[in-house]
Amino acid sequence: MDLFLMQIPQQIVNGVTLGSVYALLALGYSMVYGVLKMLNFAHGSVFMVGAFAGWGVLSLLAPGSVLAINPALALLAMVAAGTAATALLGATIERLAYRPLRGGSRMAPLISALGVSIILENAAMLLTSGRAKTYQTELIFPQTWAVHVAGATISATRIAMLASSMAIMIILDMVVSRTRFGRAMRATSQDAEAAEYIGIRTAAVIAGTFTIGSALAGVAGVMVGLYYTQIDFMIGFSAGLKAFTAAVLGGIGNFRGAAAGGLLLGLAESIGVLVAPPVYKDAIVFAVLIITLILRPSGLLGKQMRARA
Amino acid sequence: MKARQFGCFNSGSLHRVFIVSVTFAVCAALALLPGAGLVHSAASLPSIKIGAAGPYSGDLSKIGLDGLNAIKMAVEEANAAGGVRGRKIEIVEADDAGDSSKAILVAEKLAMDRAVLGVVGPMNSSTVEAALPTYQRAGLAIISQSATKPSLTEAGYKVMHRICPRDDAQGPASAKFIVEVLKAKNVYIIDDKTAYGQGLSDEVEAALKAAGVKPVRSQITLEDRDFSPILTRVRAAKPDLLYLGLANPAQAASIIKQAAGLGISVRFMGGDGLKEKDQLIAGSAGLAEGMYVTTIGRDITEVPEAAEFIRKFEGKFGAMSVFSGQTYEATNILIDAMRRASADPSKLTRALVLEALGKTAGYKGILGFPISFDSKGDVIGAGIYVYQVKGDDFVLVR
Repeated sequence: MDLFLMQIPQQIVNGVTLGSVYALLALGYSMVYGVLKMLNFAHGSVFMVGAFAGWGVLSLLAPGSVLAINPALALLAMVAAGTAATALLGATIERLAYRPLRGGSRMAPLISALGVSIILENAAMLLTSGRAKTYQTELIFPQTWAVHVAGATISATRIAMLASSMAIMIILDMVVSRTRFGRAMRATSQDAEAAEYIGIRTAAVIAGTFTIGSALAGVAGVMVGLYYTQIDFMIGFSAGLKAFTAAVLGGIGNFRGAAAGGLLLGLAESIGVLVAPPVYKDAIVFAVLIITLILRPSGLLGKQMRARA
Repeated sequence: MKARQFGCFNSGSLHRVFIVSVTFAVCAALALLPGAGLVHSAASLPSIKIGAAGPYSGDLSKIGLDGLNAIKMAVEEANAAGGVRGRKIEIVEADDAGDSSKAILVAEKLAMDRAVLGVVGPMNSSTVEAALPTYQRAGLAIISQSATKPSLTEAGYKVMHRICPRDDAQGPASAKFIVEVLKAKNVYIIDDKTAYGQGLSDEVEAALKAAGVKPVRSQITLEDRDFSPILTRVRAAKPDLLYLGLANPAQAASIIKQAAGLGISVRFMGGDGLKEKDQLIAGSAGLAEGMYVTTIGRDITEVPEAAEFIRKFEGKFGAMSVFSGQTYEATNILIDAMRRASADPSKLTRALVLEALGKTAGYKGILGFPISFDSKGDVIGAGIYVYQVKGDDFVLVR
C-alpha cells in the first residue's frame, strides 16, 4: 500500500507533462475540425516531422555532443525550426491534398489525410533507414536540473514543457477571442458560407488555421523529443491517435475542451498505471473516452447538440 | 532529326532486326535439338528464388533492413560464385512489418511462387509462429536467424530451422548470471509483449524463481514511447536489477535514458536482441554503461572468419546491426543446402532443399562454431555468452 501511495505524486507529474503535449496536439486537431469539419489524420505525422526538424537543428549545433552555442539559444533554434518546418508542411498539405477536394465528398479529404500521413511516415522511414534518433536532451537540460517535491522528481525538461505549453495555450486563446483573425476563424467555423457572404476570405482563414495548428504540432514534436529523449518515424501514429482522442474527449472543435481533454488523457494514462498493469495504459485511455462519451456525447466542453426537428 | 525518329524502316534498324531474329532462331534450334547429349545449359534455366521474410517497415524495420542487406550480400556473392550449380539466385522480399497477420500474407505469397525454394526468416518469434503452418503446407523450408521462442521447433513443423539457440537456453543462463555473479535479490522484469520479449522474460522469470529470487513483472508494447508511468512503478519497487526483455534496442535505450531522468539508478540486463552498438550504446548517450546482455554465440567481431564479412558489410551499409551476421550465415546455409540438394540443378525442388537443409552438419561460416541441426530444426553447438557495455563497445565477461 505504501508502495502505491509513494507513486502518486510522480504519476501526477508524469500525467500533467504528457497531458500538456496531448493538449497542444489536440488543439491542432480541434482547430482544423472547427473550420473544416474534417479530421486531419495527418496531424500525427506533421508532429513527427516537427520532432525531426528539432533533432536536425540540435545535431547541427552539437557536433560531437558538445553544444556550440548557449543552450537557451539552441532550444529557441530547435523550436523555431520545428514550428517553421511544420507550419510550411501544414500549409503545403492543405494546398495540395485538401483544398482541391473541398466541396466534394466528405470522405475524400479524410482518405487524402490518411494518404498524406502514410507518405510522410514512409518518407521519414526511408530518410532515417528506420533508425531511432537520439535527442541529446542533456545538452540543454542537464539531468541534474530537477526539483524534488513530495517524492516526485520534476526535471527541468518537464518544467519547460509545462510552462511553454501553458503559455502557448493562453496566447492561442487570446488570438482566437481577441484578434480579427480569431473572429474570422470563429465565423468560418460557425458557418463558412455566411462568413464568405460578409466578406471573410475563408480560404485564407482555413490555410491560416492549418498553418497555426501544424506549428503547434511542431512545438509538441520538439517537446516530445526532449522528453522521450528519442524519436523515430513511428512516433506520430500513437501521438496522433491520443490527440484525436483528447480532442473528442474535450468536445471536438472546442479549443479549451481540447486542452482539458489532453490533460485529462495524460493523467488517466499515468494514474491508470497505478491501479492496472502498465500494458493496459492505452486501454484505460480509451475506456475514459468511452465513458465520457456515454455520459456527455459531445465531449466535456462541447456544445450539447439540440435535436433537429 | 524528327524524320529519323519516326523512320523505323531505315536500313540500320532493319539490319538489327535481322541479326536479332537469326540469333533467336539459332538459340531456339539449339535448345530444341533432341537428345543432342547436352544437359540443359544451367544459364538457360530460370533463376532460383529465395524468400527474404522480415520486418522491413514498422517499428522493427531497422533490424529488418540490416538483415535484408546481409541477405543481399550473401546472394550477390553466391551468384558471383556461380549461383546454385549455375542457376542464378534471386531474392523475393517479403515485408511482414513484424506483424503476425502480415507474416501469414507474405508467407502465402512466397508459397504460391513455385520458383521460391527456401526462405530466410522470418526474424521474430511471433511472425515465425504465425507463418509456420503456411510454410509447412507449402513444404517450403525456412531458416530463421533470430526467432528464439522454444515452442517453434516443438510443434512438429518439418520446415522449421533456426541458427539461434532457444530462449530456454538463454533464459536460464541469464538467470544463473543474475543470481550467482550479480547476486541480485530484487529483480524487476519488463517485457514488450512480443513472442520474443515475453518468451525470453518467461524463461528468465522461471529460472529466477527456481533459484529463489522472485522477480516483479510488467509489460509495455512496441508502440510505447513514454515510460515514465512504468518507471515510476519500478522506482517504487527499488530493484537492484532491471531486466529488459525487449526486441527493440532503441526502446531499451529510451527506457534507460528516461530512468535516469527519474533518478533511478539500477543495473540493467537484456537478451541477445539488445546487443547493438548504434541503437543501444550510442542511443542511450553513455547511460547504458555497465549494462549486461546475453548473446548467442560469440560476438562475430571476435571471430576471425567473420572479419572479411564485417569489412565488406560495414563498407557498404554502415554499422552492423545485431542480426546482420546471423542473417548472412542463415542465407549462406540455405544456399549451401540448395547446392547439395541435387546434382542436376534443373531437378531442384522444395522437398530436396528441405531435406538437404535438415542434413546441414558442421557448416563452418562466420559465427565461430560449426552449425548442425537436430531432428527438430534447432541449432546444435551454440553457446550463451554474457557481454557488458564498456565505453562504446560490448566486452565479454563470461
